[in-house]
Parts: sequence; structure tokens; C-alpha cells
Amino acid sequence: MPVLEARGIVKALGAGRAQRRILDGVDLDVEAGEVVAVLGRSGSGKSTLLHLLGGLDHPDQGRIVLAGREITKQNPRALARTRLRHVGFVFQSFHLIEELSGEENVLLPARLPGAGRDGERRGRRLIGELGLTEIAARRPHELSGGEQQRLAIARALVNDPELVLADEPTGNLDQENGATVLALLRNLRRHAVVIVTHEPEAAGVADRLLHLSDGKLAPEGVALRESA
Amino acid sequence: MLTAALTVSDSLGFGFDRAARAAGLPDIIVRFNPQPSEAVRQRIAALPDVAAYTVRQELTGIGLETADDFADNGVLEIVGPGRRGYAIVAGRDVSGRRGEVVVERGLAVAWHLKLGDTLNIEGFDTRRIVGFSESPDNVSYPLSTPRVYVSAAALGVPPGARVNLADIWLRAPANLDEVLVQARATSYGLHGLRFVTRTGVRVLLDQAAGIVIDLLVALSLIALATAAVLLAASARAEVQRRLAAIGVRRAVGASRGHLATVQGLEALFVAAPAATLGAIGGVLATYGPTSRLLVLLNEPAPGAALLPGLIAAWLGAVAIPVLAAAWPAWRAAGRPPVDLLRGAELARGRGGRTVRGAGVTGPRAGLTVLGVRLAGAKRMRLITTAATLGFSTAFVLLMLTLASALSSLETDPGALGKRYQLTADLPASAVPHVRAIPGVMAAAPRYESEAVDSFSLGETIDVVAYPGDHTTFEAPPLVSGTRLRGGGEAEVGLGLAEALGLDPSSTLAIELDNGRELRLRVAGVVSSLDHDGRIAYVPAAALLAADPSAGEDEQLAVRLKTGASAAAVSAALGTSATPATGAVGRGVPLVSVLRSILRAVAIVDGLVCLYALIQACALTVQERRRTVSVLRAFGAGSTAVGRLLAGAVIALVVPAALLGIGLERVVLGPALAHLAASYVTLSLGASGPEIAIVLAGLLVAGVVATAWVTRQATRESVIEGLRAQ
Repeated sequence: MPVLEARGIVKALGAGRAQRRILDGVDLDVEAGEVVAVLGRSGSGKSTLLHLLGGLDHPDQGRIVLAGREITKQNPRALARTRLRHVGFVFQSFHLIEELSGEENVLLPARLPGAGRDGERRGRRLIGELGLTEIAARRPHELSGGEQQRLAIARALVNDPELVLADEPTGNLDQENGATVLALLRNLRRHAVVIVTHEPEAAGVADRLLHLSDGKLAPEGVALRESA
Repeated sequence: MLTAALTVSDSLGFGFDRAARAAGLPDIIVRFNPQPSEAVRQRIAALPDVAAYTVRQELTGIGLETADDFADNGVLEIVGPGRRGYAIVAGRDVSGRRGEVVVERGLAVAWHLKLGDTLNIEGFDTRRIVGFSESPDNVSYPLSTPRVYVSAAALGVPPGARVNLADIWLRAPANLDEVLVQARATSYGLHGLRFVTRTGVRVLLDQAAGIVIDLLVALSLIALATAAVLLAASARAEVQRRLAAIGVRRAVGASRGHLATVQGLEALFVAAPAATLGAIGGVLATYGPTSRLLVLLNEPAPGAALLPGLIAAWLGAVAIPVLAAAWPAWRAAGRPPVDLLRGAELARGRGGRTVRGAGVTGPRAGLTVLGVRLAGAKRMRLITTAATLGFSTAFVLLMLTLASALSSLETDPGALGKRYQLTADLPASAVPHVRAIPGVMAAAPRYESEAVDSFSLGETIDVVAYPGDHTTFEAPPLVSGTRLRGGGEAEVGLGLAEALGLDPSSTLAIELDNGRELRLRVAGVVSSLDHDGRIAYVPAAALLAADPSAGEDEQLAVRLKTGASAAAVSAALGTSATPATGAVGRGVPLVSVLRSILRAVAIVDGLVCLYALIQACALTVQERRRTVSVLRAFGAGSTAVGRLLAGAVIALVVPAALLGIGLERVVLGPALAHLAASYVTLSLGASGPEIAIVLAGLLVAGVVATAWVTRQATRESVIEGLRAQ
């Protein structure tokens, strides 16, 4: 049974004559341990898809089942609970909180009401496993981009979610740090990972490549053939 | 807050002047034993600089009765032609027709009288009320005796009838002293002569309203300062929030002046309607209670006279945020655009000390601690807002303490320096018997009599006498001089000392009930609220020698041992025992009105606190939209966001509470107690119950602010927040 199952996702943005179907019948299944990369040009709807998959937004049509729960029918409170326990986000701009140290940032989701009990212990273990011990006490502005993104990945994993959603995770990193981050995501064996990116390097770590174009999601080869 | 403060301070501060103008208050009011009016007219006509005068008869101790109310101490003034010295505030003045009466407005309010109602005047027939009057030469019923006016012509009083009162208006009031000297010289042969001047009336009324007007005016000034700080802080915070937008405009070539103007105009669009609503709200909250107080003081409500002040307050309320918005915009626009664009987020590197081993050196960084840190990230705003809240807290605390002090003045004789707990209608010969009652520490005869100052005051003076050391039973704090020692000495209340210009070693000359004069050297001046401070402590021997009838009303003052039961001693004394009372027995309505005003201003102030908290929280959320959205993306629901904001509120409320309590106890309380020292020694330092009430209020305000802003914050799209810069 896939961790994530999306069927017939439709999402329109804008209003009136400016309205555009940015997602037009998207289907997607992601298994545990699988890394799926969604490629596409800027503005193609990659981030919108990621937000829908993570329960940050509601589709106009279609259904999304995450960890056995149909999140498209959930109210905001239940959606928040689903995100807390089953989804981890990695953002392009890291979104670490400046007032907190690296370790505090990692542990923050584990300290939210309703989080599992082992979160803090897991977070400290992750800090060690990701080689962040030396920098864990520092504030985000004292760290390099790569270090910040590694902390962000640890934060995404702290509540042991089934699904990790990464939005342009290497977009603000140099090549070396970008490669390190992609390798980390590749090695998340027990988690389903969806990476949306416009950088072809991400293809190197994905089990499956999908291309989002004109609101349709297709395997990369098919998309390339259609483009040709 | 601004207009609430203005309404209170303007109404109370200028009420007398307005009333005096409206009533055409005479410069001199002379009372004397009844004389033929022609003789009085001749004497007045001989005075220099007289612009106008009128004479009339004033009858006291008159019974007044309606269907529901009765008073046996009414004052009936039989008015003739000429100026009146009172203002008609509703209806019309009495004419020459029979059966008409004008009633003092305070009496009308207290007895719920309407124009056209009837009033039965003892010794006269029932009369129809044709008008309500206001005369600021005295406070009104129920603080003073009820006063009504009827027409001499309607009563058929002949022109040469006897009169006992004259109102005199001078061409040049500056010549008052010279005219008074002449008047005293030409009044030879008149008995019971009492002069009251317009200045004297003002002194009396200031004392009648007393301490409370001083305190409220002072409180209003504090409120004005609070309002100004809050408006400025709010506007400044708004500019801080818009630094990025300013940076963008600056980057595309906008001038500093243009940006400052735009920012000022934007503030104007918000401030103008907000100031209008606030001004209306402030006036509505305080105008009613203040007007009720003015009725008691026989002064008119400010009405349209308040408009210039309100307009000025409105302009101030608009100008302060406009300037406060334009000035930081001007300053901000002077910085490099790159800095401004970065400034939309917290400046990196500032306050960014390394946290060594998080959770070791600081508290565990949960949501609440994060909220505290988010609020603390804007230090100047945190300080400004906390200072505003602290000031408001101190203000509310002071009002609660003041209300408590008023209650204690009303009910606790100890607050007035009275050390005896009981009085007993027993003769001096019963003292040994009373002293033998278990629980009694001391007992002595206490004589109390009314007198008047011979020269300038028509108001009475309370004369209190004990055979020995009066401080055993009454020890109001000594302000200057010494306690009375010899038989020819007196201690006078500060209110009396100020009214008569007395100080230690000067001479107190009072006319007793029997017409005899008692002259005593002033040994000391004491602080007493009793009888508005117009009180004199004299040796019993001197009082009884001058007026033996004073001994007819003797009572025993009984002081109890510490812990003794007043009830048990009362029972032993029998039915003659009465508990000692506070000062404001007849001022209960005044205290009630004052409490209303304090409550109204406290509510407005409480709303200011709530607004400041909500504003500070909302700004924190607005600036940290992305932080809140990240938390929500990771599954934080409204409870978690609430905890985060609770931390921000705690960062404001805790220092504000400490500041407020400290400010009240160390600065405001002592300062206002000093103001009141003319009348009484008050402890205006907040105590446990008041502090508990204020802390509870802050807690409620904090919870409301947290809930409100949490609701707003969780309504926003998480995605929009994540995109926010």
C-alpha cells in the first residue's frame, strides 16, 4: 500500500479570465523508501502540488490519501494533526527560526502539542547522524547554507513522518552542499520522499522522475518524448 | 483615553469658573442678622466701586416636602428684583406670580423632580416648580442643604421688609480687598456679619470637592501621557513593520520627504476615523459620571465648552501617530535601501549571541519560550509597549487603591486620625465607670461645637475640645507647629489654615454659637479630612468658658484596648454607645459618583491595555508570519500558536506588572498621597487585594489578546505565510 496516493488532482489559480488550471488531473503514488523527483519549469505548479500533497492546501477536485487517511476530507485541525505525525517539510529557504539554536530548531516539531514522545531523543540522534553536533548550539545566521539545510532535514524527520516533501531543497545551495543534501534525502530508507525541483541534479538521486507540464504529471521519459 | 481624561479634567478643573460666569456670581455675599432693607441698601450704596447689588431674605431650617421626599433643613431664598447670582439651567426663573418656585438642580436630581412638579414649603403653600437653578456659592444637596427660591413679589413682601443677605457685584473685582475694608467699616452695628467672597467660595468649593478633584486632575494628566506614549509606540511599530516596503520605494528613487509624507498620510487615514471613534467613546464613558459629580458641586456640565478641547485632543490624537509615523519613515528612508530590504526580517547578527548547549543555559525552548524570544527580538518595541502597559497598570492600581481609600475614609475612623472607637451619650462624671469596663483603654468627655470665622467665611468651623491631651483620642497628623499645650492654644486643620491664612503662632478668632468670640494662638496645623479640614482642636476649658452651652452636648469618647471587642464594650455601655464614623457620611453620594468616574476611567484604561497587548501580539505575528507558518506546516494547530503568542504576551505582561506595581507603590501612590496631604494622611500604596485584582485583569487581557490574535493568525493560509518576506 503506497504511503501517498493522489488521484485526479485539479487545482486552479487566479480568478476570472486570469484563472488557470495549474494542476489538471494529476495522479501520483509514492511507496515507503521511494524517492520521487518532480521536475518542471518555474511556475509549472510543482510547489502547488507539494502543498496539496502535504495538506497545506485543498485541491479543487481529486483525492489524496496519506498514510491511510484521506486528507482531502479532513478539517484544518485534523490536517494539522496529520502534518504533525506523517509529513516532514524541507524548504528551499530552510525556514529555520532565527531566535532558536540549531538543536532547538530541530526539536521544535517534537515539542508541538500532540507530537510523539520519542521526538526529542530522535532529534538528538539525527543531529549526531547528520554530523551536526558541532553546530547544533549555534544560531542559524552563524551557519552555512548547507548546514542550515541539513538542520532543516533533521527537523523534517524529527517526528518520524512517513512522507518527506522537499521543495527545491538545493535551490539556495552551492553544488557541493546541494549534493550533500540530495545524498541525505536519498538515504532516507524508511520514508517516502517527494522532491520538487527544476534542477536536473536531483534526478540523480531519485528512484523515479516525473515531469510536470501543462498541469499534467508524466514520467520523465514520456514527457521528454512528448516534448520532442 | 485622551478625551476621557480631557472630559474629567476640563469638567472638574474649569467647572467653577463656568458656573460662576453662568450664574453671574457676585463678588461679595454678605450675611447678617435681619435688617430693614433700606438700611442695608444705604450702607451698600456708600461702598466704593459697586456695580450692582441686591438684597434678600434667606430662611434656613425650612421643611421641604414632595410626595416621596422630605428635608427639614431647607434654605428658602426670597428674591427680589435685580440680579440673582444663580443660573437657570432648565425652565425659567420665578416671576411675580404666586405659587412658583425654582429648585436647585442638585435637589431636583436627588429627588427626581421635574418641571411642573409641586413642592410643599413649610410655612408657605404648595408651589409649582418652574425652573432649576445652579449657584456655585455652595455645593448642592445632598452634600449640602436643599435650596429653593421664591419671588418676594409673589409673597407680597413689602419693599422695606427685613433682609439678611446681600449680593454685591464690583466694577473692578481687583479692588475687592479695599471694598471689604470699607464694608467692614460701614457695617458697624450689624450683628452676625459674615462676608463670603467669590475667591472664598472658590476656596470652599475646592475644599468641598477637595482631594478628589486634585487627584482626578493629576490622574487625567497621567492618562494623557499614557495615551501619547501608546499612540507614538503604535505608529512607530507600524513603520517598523513596513521597512521593506519603504526600502523598495527608496530603491526605485522615492525621496525621503515623499516617503515620510506618504507614511504620514497613511497614518492619517487610519488615525482620523480611529481618533473620532476613540474621542466619542472616551467622552461617552466619562461624561455621564462627571456630569453627576458637577451637579453635586453646583457646576454646569461643560457641554459645548468641551468642544475646543475635544477638537484639540482629536488633532493631537491624529497628529501624534502622523508625526510618529512620518518621523521614523524619514529616518528609515535615510538608511541604504539594501539595509531596509533586509530589515524586513530581524537584523542578522544583532542579539545573535551563540547559545551554548541549548536547554542548558536557557529554558527549554518550547513554544512559550519561543514566543518570549520573538517578542524580545524587537527590544525597543518590547520596552515601549511594556512601559505603556506598566504605566496603565500603575494607573488602574492607583484608582483601585484610591477607591479603597475612599471607602476607608467613609467607614474607618482610624483613617482620619480618630483613635477612639466609640462615643457614649454620658456625662463627664461617668468617665471612671466607663474606664472600669473591660477592654476600655481610655475615656474622656468630648465637646463639639460649631463656630464661624469672624471675618471672611460664612461656612462653619467644627470646634472639638477635650479636657486633657486630645491626641489620646484624636491625633490627626501634625503638618507644622506643635500640639496644643496651653489653655490659650489651638490646633487647626489645614483646610481651615489655608482658607484663613493661618499658620503656627497666628491668631484664630472664631465666633461661637452664643455670639462670644474665642481667640486662641495657633500652636500647630494638622492634616484632617473631617469637615474638609475646617476643624479646630481647642482646650475644653477655653471652649466651655466662652460658651458654657457647648457642655450640654458632651459625649464620652471611648478608646478600646488593642483586640478588645467593640461590641462587648458597646453592650456594657448600653444604648448610649455609638461607633465612631468616618468623615464623609454626608458625602456618600460624592463618593459614589467618584467611584463611577474612577470605574469609567479604569475601564477605558483597561481597554487601552488590551489594545496595546493585541497590537503588540498582532505586530509580532505580522512580522513573523513565516515563523508561524513554518510551525503550522509542521502541524502546529491553534493551541500551539496560542502557546507561542502566550509567550509573547508574557514577555510584555510580566515586566509591565512589575513596573506598574513598583511605579504605583514608589512614585504615583506617594505623589498623590502628598497632594492629598492638605486634607488627610492617606496610604495610597497598593495592597494585596488591589494588586491581585490588577494582576487578574492583566491575565484576562493577556488571555483575550492571545485568543484574538491566535484566531487571526490561524485563519491565514500557511502557504501565504511561507512566502512572506
